[in-house]
Amino acid sequence: MLVRVLLQLTVVVTLMILISTALFVGRYRLRDTRVEWRSRIRAAAPITIALAVVLLFNSVARQIVPDLSWMIDWNFTEPIYDIEGEFILWLQSQATPAVTAYFSFIYIYGYVFLLIFPVVAYFALSNTRPLRELLTAYTLNYALGLLLYTFVIAYGPRNMMPDLVEALLYDTYPQYQHLTRQVNRNTNVFPSLHTSLAATVSFLAYRTREIYPTWNLLAAGLGVSVAISTMYLGIHWVIDVLAGIVLAYISVELAGVLVGRWSLSEWLDGHVPSLGAFRDSNE
Amino acid sequence: MNCDTNGPVDGVDRRSVLAAGAAGLSLSLSGCIDTVRSVVNDDGDDQLSLSIVTVPADGDRENVRIARHLESNLEAVGVDVTLTMRSRSEFLEKVLIDHDFDLYVGRHPADYDPDFLYEALHSTYADEAGWQNPFRYSNPTFFDPLLEEQRRAEGEERRARIDSVLDGLAEEKPFEPICRPGEYRVARTDRFDGWDDGHLATRRGYLGLDPLDEEIDRLDALVTDARPSQNVNPLSATARERGPIVDLLYDSLGTVHSSDDGEHEIAEWLAESWEWETPSDDEPGEKTIATVTLREDCTFHDGEPVTAADVAFTYRFIADTALGQADSPSPAPRYRGLTSLIDEHGIEIDDESDYRLRIPVEADRAVAERAFTVPILPRHIWREELRDRIDTAGDVTAPQGQWGLVTTSSVDPIGSGPYQFESQSDRDYLALERFDDHFTRREDLDGDHLLAPMVEELRFNVDPGSSSSIARVESGAADVTSSMLETHAINEISDEPEIQRLEDPSWTFYHLGFNTRVPPCSNPHFRRAVSQLIDKKWVVEEIFYDHAEPIATPVADEWVPDELAWDDDTSEDPVTPFVGTDGSLNVEAARAAFDAAGYASDSDGRLLGRY
Repeated sequence: MLVRVLLQLTVVVTLMILISTALFVGRYRLRDTRVEWRSRIRAAAPITIALAVVLLFNSVARQIVPDLSWMIDWNFTEPIYDIEGEFILWLQSQATPAVTAYFSFIYIYGYVFLLIFPVVAYFALSNTRPLRELLTAYTLNYALGLLLYTFVIAYGPRNMMPDLVEALLYDTYPQYQHLTRQVNRNTNVFPSLHTSLAATVSFLAYRTREIYPTWNLLAAGLGVSVAISTMYLGIHWVIDVLAGIVLAYISVELAGVLVGRWSLSEWLDGHVPSLGAFRDSNE
Repeated sequence: MNCDTNGPVDGVDRRSVLAAGAAGLSLSLSGCIDTVRSVVNDDGDDQLSLSIVTVPADGDRENVRIARHLESNLEAVGVDVTLTMRSRSEFLEKVLIDHDFDLYVGRHPADYDPDFLYEALHSTYADEAGWQNPFRYSNPTFFDPLLEEQRRAEGEERRARIDSVLDGLAEEKPFEPICRPGEYRVARTDRFDGWDDGHLATRRGYLGLDPLDEEIDRLDALVTDARPSQNVNPLSATARERGPIVDLLYDSLGTVHSSDDGEHEIAEWLAESWEWETPSDDEPGEKTIATVTLREDCTFHDGEPVTAADVAFTYRFIADTALGQADSPSPAPRYRGLTSLIDEHGIEIDDESDYRLRIPVEADRAVAERAFTVPILPRHIWREELRDRIDTAGDVTAPQGQWGLVTTSSVDPIGSGPYQFESQSDRDYLALERFDDHFTRREDLDGDHLLAPMVEELRFNVDPGSSSSIARVESGAADVTSSMLETHAINEISDEPEIQRLEDPSWTFYHLGFNTRVPPCSNPHFRRAVSQLIDKKWVVEEIFYDHAEPIATPVADEWVPDELAWDDDTSEDPVTPFVGTDGSLNVEAARAAFDAAGYASDSDGRLLGRY
């Protein structure tokens, strides 16, 4: 069942990316990319490796983190629920089948598209800085997010109020639970990484609005939709979403500061001359 | 996690204190504050506050919905309520082991025989951690004699005692039964045959299942609970409420056999036979003795023989898991009620046979036979474990219910049962492999109930919920849902010919538990007033979609006394009817009930403590 869901996801998201690439990136940038791709990959390689390491660590740590969390035993569900139980109920009362279908689509497909497409779009730019900032911000999101998950145990609205928050996504499309279960635990809701990653993309799209003006608008719309979908579907509380936005802001700002501060290739050139020479000769 | 030698300090959750210490008080928003607050409330004019512990909706949506129903009605009468969510094992730890709660909503495994109330209510267990008396309820003059007498009585005499216990329970309410859910599961009939033969919460449900094709070598069962993939320690209080896994890994002397007309009896299993010697009336000091003969040549999964010494060891070990070597006895947090039927010190192994032993019992045989359903543990494994722990610990403290031996997942899960442990993967699956040397696979067996393990591998896969479990069985990716289905999902079962909806008899019930040691829940009038805030009829209709029956007493069927039978005409609890209609509370009347119990409200509508 998981395989089928994954296949469907891959096909749909690939289509979305192809169409968006044609619409937003355009022929000329793709042509340049064909020429410059090696140097761009080299520029983005260190941060890509860092992201991969964090993701790998994440998947290993996820086995341990919940047990660790229960040992630390900070349960935030009750205070969160006390503060804002009502808002999620109000949001849920707006539910209609069409809206549910829209937000379910956004939560799964829209979200994955929103995360992958900017990698393509920024890779297509000669200036690799946006790409490196994006990947750095992703890395920071995951690293900081995992840290928070370790400390905070909180169950989402769907686990607390299954009557009113009708666990819409998983009741309507139970197959998605197999997918999301691979990625997350039900005690890891604070902060909403869905929101933080989506907001990260939206923030960066705003920074690059002069290069990709239409994408900026689409990313803003999708970012807001993803944030609302997590609450509408009963997966996250408002507080999780707000924390996700703060996390995104911190990650983007930090990424802006960090990117370009250290250059791995310069460092390598300075310390390992033979490697530098090897690399040059390889070009 | 290993033992804490000091135990909880004055009822304050140890870990909360640690957390608070580590983080500064401002960060500890949960457990610690609950405890502190209820202390403050004992002596002031402050608002009464209560915590309700419950489990998250994943896998048991009904539980938290009942808790929220109660929460909103308690808030309506002016109580400050904290709804505390814990994962299933943390929930059981908080309730059964740490006793760190005011109220909880949970499901009791119960039993077909009302003797399970002995374990639930006897004051001997009020200070023990585990499934025995989590309410810490103690009423040694009323309940204890009745609970003991009903074990020795028969027929109408026993019924009279049980009636008195149930009547007392309905008045005193250490816990309040709410409803008994129907047990529904779904199975595919195109790969295995025989789904109707046994209850799928017991070992019998998984034995005798015929693969319809020789190629089929694995049965995939789905569980909506990750714990089987983590811990199969048969003595753990928190790893399960009930379920077939321990039953499949471990044999017991006898097994519950249910006839078609709904009668239950204990039939021979690992024991080939047992004979009873009842003392005549002119030997008042003598006990009833069961002479149990084991089947010969049975082995544990590691090849060691199963002998009378293992049986004797098991009963002694459950009574004291430190076997007398700790400062004080450390009874297991499970099976206490069953083993208390037996005088474990009087067990004698026959001089002439390794397979025969004499077990003195403290009950009439019909009740006493229930003690034969305890899993028989291999002496060589558990003694070794105990020795390791004593050697390394030096100073032997075995905090009852929470010491390593009864909580760890690291003891070799070796039993003599029809399936043996193969592998497990955290939150993914538990795989069991057929034990080919099991006695049920012998040819010369006599007894229709001795069903054998058929399929080579039995795999319990963890699935996120009932809806997706049903979809998975229907898509052919699994054979059966082993966990009871949540009632909201039952209507999703399709009527395809190869899909079979299974319904098993149910004893398990949802209930509200009170911590009867802590004010205000130590006051029976308060507990009654709280019980009246639950609309059981509404709960059954709205939360269980009528796939449950409201109950006023925790026993099933023929044991329900007339005066405690649910009245279908009035749809009311016969003792503590809901104050309101159709789920909505009559706040004035409810406040009046609390007022009568001694809990007044202030001008802001807040319910105040009594002191």
